[in-house]
Amino acid sequence: MALLRYESQVRPPLVDGSKDYHQVTEDICRPVEAKPSRLWWMGFLISVALLIFGIVSVTMEVMYGTGQWNLNKTIGWGWDITNFVWWVGIGHAGTLISAILLLFRQGWRTGVNRAAEAMTIFAVMCAGQFPIWHMGRVWNAFFVLPYANTRGPLWVNFNSPLLWDVFAISTYFTVSLLFWYSGLLPDLATLRDRAKEKWRKAFYGVAAFGWTGSTKHWQRHEALSLVLAGLSTPLVLSVHTIVSFDFATSVVPGWHTTIFPPYFVAGAIFSGFAMVQTLLLVTRKVLALEDYITIEHIEVMNKVIVLTGSIVGIAYLTELFMAWYSHVDYEWFAFKENRLSLSSPYGWSYWLMMGCNVLSPQIFWFRKMRRNLLVTFFMSILVNIGMWFERFVIIVTSVYRDYLPSAWSTYYTPTIWEVGFYMGTFGLFFTCYFLFSKFFPVIALAEIKHILKRSGENYKEKMDEVEEETTEEFGGKHGHDHGA
Amino acid sequence: MSIRENFVVPKRYNTIAISLMVVGILAIVGLYVTSGSKDDAHHQARFWASLLQNSVYFLLVVNASMFFICATTLAWGGWQMAFRRVPEAISAVVPVVGVICAAILLAITFGGQHAIYHWSDTEHVKHDPTLLHKEGFLNKGFFAVATVLTVVLWSVLGWKMRQLSRSLDNEPLKTVEERRKYIWKNTVWAAGYIVVFALTVMSSLPWLWLMSIDAHWYSTMYSWYTFASTFVAGMALIALFVVFLKNNGYLEYATNEHLHDIGKFMFAFSVFWTYLWFSQFMLIWYANIPEETVYFKPRAEGAYSGIFWLMFLINFLAPLLILMTRGAKRNYGTITFMALLIIFGHWLDFYQMVFPSPMTDEKGVTHVPMILYDFGVALGFVGLIMFAVGRALSKAPLLAKNHPFIKESLIHHT
Repeated sequence: MALLRYESQVRPPLVDGSKDYHQVTEDICRPVEAKPSRLWWMGFLISVALLIFGIVSVTMEVMYGTGQWNLNKTIGWGWDITNFVWWVGIGHAGTLISAILLLFRQGWRTGVNRAAEAMTIFAVMCAGQFPIWHMGRVWNAFFVLPYANTRGPLWVNFNSPLLWDVFAISTYFTVSLLFWYSGLLPDLATLRDRAKEKWRKAFYGVAAFGWTGSTKHWQRHEALSLVLAGLSTPLVLSVHTIVSFDFATSVVPGWHTTIFPPYFVAGAIFSGFAMVQTLLLVTRKVLALEDYITIEHIEVMNKVIVLTGSIVGIAYLTELFMAWYSHVDYEWFAFKENRLSLSSPYGWSYWLMMGCNVLSPQIFWFRKMRRNLLVTFFMSILVNIGMWFERFVIIVTSVYRDYLPSAWSTYYTPTIWEVGFYMGTFGLFFTCYFLFSKFFPVIALAEIKHILKRSGENYKEKMDEVEEETTEEFGGKHGHDHGA
Repeated sequence: MSIRENFVVPKRYNTIAISLMVVGILAIVGLYVTSGSKDDAHHQARFWASLLQNSVYFLLVVNASMFFICATTLAWGGWQMAFRRVPEAISAVVPVVGVICAAILLAITFGGQHAIYHWSDTEHVKHDPTLLHKEGFLNKGFFAVATVLTVVLWSVLGWKMRQLSRSLDNEPLKTVEERRKYIWKNTVWAAGYIVVFALTVMSSLPWLWLMSIDAHWYSTMYSWYTFASTFVAGMALIALFVVFLKNNGYLEYATNEHLHDIGKFMFAFSVFWTYLWFSQFMLIWYANIPEETVYFKPRAEGAYSGIFWLMFLINFLAPLLILMTRGAKRNYGTITFMALLIIFGHWLDFYQMVFPSPMTDEKGVTHVPMILYDFGVALGFVGLIMFAVGRALSKAPLLAKNHPFIKESLIHHT
């Protein structure tokens, strides 16, 4: 009989412990069905408090205008756009894990994809706040939509990358949401079928869209996943590419450089994975899911971090080198005087970025470090700080001293309302994440079951006999001809 | 079931390879007589540009095989094991093409071919402030050291990876622990290769070898773009040899499933190449800075516009539309056709990267030379690669049958 579920024993198992399908269901549904812990309430309330701070800050800005922020003529973009790009970047890992890793058939994605996708959606929601409130007259926000209007020839500027952002991010958000939710359907149906309380049955009943688990449903579900993965893959690249166009299409030194699109994408995946690590290290501990989000998962994600961190490093050095090589005085000034020079007002931020994003992830070349939870947690925070400063360096150090020295701005510091707005997005992000972890299974139940018999610890142990077969024996028994 | 694991080079195969090499040599002789032997710099540049374009292109394409091996090793890929010996054999050609390429590049730099590398003319550099500024990077000494070191490092690390693969052929690993250690050892060497690759192909090398032909111009994307171009062509080359071996009754375990996945790589990286192509072109077009647009002037609008847009069509639209469906990626005929088209398309890409600058005369007019000669030179390299890969394939069993992941590859399905 042809064997379809073999995996080399060299690979570590992806589900630890002696699990069968039922045990998997129990383990993953437990946090959803149990009462929330005190820790959950604490976290949730802190998040809501932050969210309220954010709402107050935004209200101040709407009432009194963007003058509440410390932006000025030279630095038209400060914290707000830095935060926007930072959050969009974080929103990259989820779709990369669910789409690109699905196409690459990476089994380990099943342990982390659900939480990562949720995180993506929340991060994109946070990102969206910044350009919207930055408009000032937010009640006119619908002007960004290109619809036939009564304003005569007044249309959106199709030449502007900022408008492309509107399309890119709203498409990305829609597809990510669909992907996440369609993956949730079978799991929601499981929760519905297990529900004892009436409200629970009703809630999950509506949420599950009448999923019955029939073969037809599964067939359509799998086809849909593949189609959505195909659609999402170019989207993962396009969103941050277009964000990079916001800068690169200009003629501002330090912004106009051709490597920006792929380098922004790599940086986004880098920061996204760092955020996934931060969240999952806490989630697996609090919800006791160590058997599903194993140390192997952590290690693999650390490998992605060292890879993308190094790609970003090459891009930084390429940019720096070309600033010199190009022999363009303005470009070189932006790098030499505004960034490299520690005696300049923002020189420190460039070196902080280099240290956090390029140097520090290099410790993940060592296996011991990749498997150390404390180091991983610390690094994930460090990377996110570094990636925030990357955007800060790009945005502020390029423009605070531009072509005209008379326009050079003094030191830029955010006001309390800019800080409050940023804190508020953390509130939004974590409020959503806490609600998600309470009401939805944080691990893709159905997908874990899909890999259980191939990568589950107890099933792998039963493979001893197959492992010892010679290649010829194995090929004779299990190899199959696919019309070749 | 016994498998045919020892490849015997068919006579006809070698005859074709040798004939192609003869064509290549004739083309080189023809080129030398018509331009290389002439007294003026522009005629000579035409001869050397052809050698440069072909040798650099084919070197990067065969080297892409080792990149594929090392990338899949680091990612713990198992699916490719059924045909792993094919990229191994292709990468075995790196030292041969590498030496030829290095010799050509050094001959250009030190032989006074200033029409190709303007920066190698020390007299001229003195009066050119930009080139004077770049002298710290663009100088003969650094160029020579970087070129030789790169070829040596690629060859040695590639040899080590192939050695590791063959070391198991007669001694299967007995325990899971031994297999883990083996994978670990592979991972370490592959990581070493990838670091070298990052520091060469992904950054400095294309600046030196190719971008410095347009010595005043610069683009940060250039190296990643070059990588995408040669990687997709490298995957196409692997596909060609897999199909060839299948058609001759070898590689029993490499099925349509494997071919399908190679096809996906050809499709995906064609789109990736287009993405980089568009990003580089669009950003330069949009910002419209003369120092940058000068590069695209003769290419997108001038004498080279035909080649420029044709290669865009071949490298983007054709793979996108033809390789989209599942059936196309599992069909030997379609894959063979597309692989040939992709290799040719990226050859054209390199053509328009190399030629416009040396083919610009004193009046600033850019010409397209008689391209048939360059086709001839290209066929010579194709023959050389065919011959050398054939030899390499026959030297080791076609199946890495004791690799810890081989069984996964045997039951691989898409």
